[in-house]
Amino acid sequence: MKLPDHLPILFGLGGAVAALACADIASPSRADRYEWRRIVATGPGTADTLSFHWPRSRLPVRVWVEDTLNLPSDVQGGIDQWKAAFLYGEFDAVIVPDSSTADVVVRAGSPVNGGFSVIRLASTAPECEGGTDFDLPSGSLELVPPIRVFVNPRFDPATPGVAECLALTTTHELGHAIGIFAHSPVATDIMFGDPVVPALSARDGATVEAAYHLQPNLSIGTR
Amino acid sequence: MRAAVALLVVLTAASLSAAEAQTDFYARLGLTGTTKLLKDDILQQIEVRQSLAPTLALGVSFPFTPLYGAGLEVTVTSSGFHSTESGSQTDLGTLRTGSIMLGLDGPVWRQLRWRAGAGLLSYWPAEKRGIFLGGGSTRFLAGAGLDYRRPVFPRWELMMSLRYDFHRFTTDELVARGFSGTQGVQRVSASVGLARGRR
Repeated sequence: MKLPDHLPILFGLGGAVAALACADIASPSRADRYEWRRIVATGPGTADTLSFHWPRSRLPVRVWVEDTLNLPSDVQGGIDQWKAAFLYGEFDAVIVPDSSTADVVVRAGSPVNGGFSVIRLASTAPECEGGTDFDLPSGSLELVPPIRVFVNPRFDPATPGVAECLALTTTHELGHAIGIFAHSPVATDIMFGDPVVPALSARDGATVEAAYHLQPNLSIGTR
Repeated sequence: MRAAVALLVVLTAASLSAAEAQTDFYARLGLTGTTKLLKDDILQQIEVRQSLAPTLALGVSFPFTPLYGAGLEVTVTSSGFHSTESGSQTDLGTLRTGSIMLGLDGPVWRQLRWRAGAGLLSYWPAEKRGIFLGGGSTRFLAGAGLDYRRPVFPRWELMMSLRYDFHRFTTDELVARGFSGTQGVQRVSASVGLARGRR
């Protein structure tokens, strides 16, 4: 059997091209991020680091939102921003109509203490305030749902700047609710303690990605 | 003059008819396997891969010598894609691809023929999110393959094909996030179908 003369050339070219095809894409550096875990004192000279993210089995996270102050739109905007920070489907959330089945409840008003062991993460902008409460019973590593988010205007909602403040504060508080348990020290991050930017920064994105790729030590119960 | 035009029309029709008689059409169904689309590292290593994909291939080939032909092949695949991290998989949705490749074909041995070409490959994600947040992606493609044919009916042949192709993958979203370079992606497909024409 005689093979055509051109076949070795074809196979040679094919092999060379296949070798070129093997190189991998290079990941970006995600080192520029801030501490997202909550470090709590557990006694004299001792501390514990608390971390949490929603497990895949609980996605999409169910969010109920009070229909006032444009909150439904602000919450949807916040969810969309946080979802867009992920590349691999790590987080998803939907707004649900019934608060009794929600994992996260968003209300207008001043944060109120629920009367049990609560971790409160608050933000304080001039025009509005926000807070996120987690119920973590003493000695437990399992959060009790729902996580409660509050946003509250400090002035008449029609006052210039208040609507923008409510929108960015809602996104900020949702950041706490999805697992960023600390504030960024940088003002250009949405998770800065007194948030002023309307959108997530690259640092916010890198931080929440890290939070979702590190095994957390807190879990969350079911409703 | 009228006779000359009539003669020209008759000759043109005759040559087109002869070309049509030699034109080769085929359609095949098969499966395509793909190497990873992406490797990333966020505290842990992550890989994104397209699942084994049902494939439809349609093609046409025109002989330009008794042994060699030039042709166009279009393929469409559809399957899920997923990420894998620490051994666990996450479904990322549905991903369709479409490719168009211009190529040459020639004999290997008896009814076995080679095919090689270049073209374009497009990714069409079902949802704009994750690595496809900025939409799909179109990449240059090069590939080669083997076709085996066996007559089954008058003018119809059973066609069995193996294809290999490669391209370099990235998306607008990956570029926007600072991924550099592109990922070499290789695909292999096996398919079976019917061809009508060249005999």
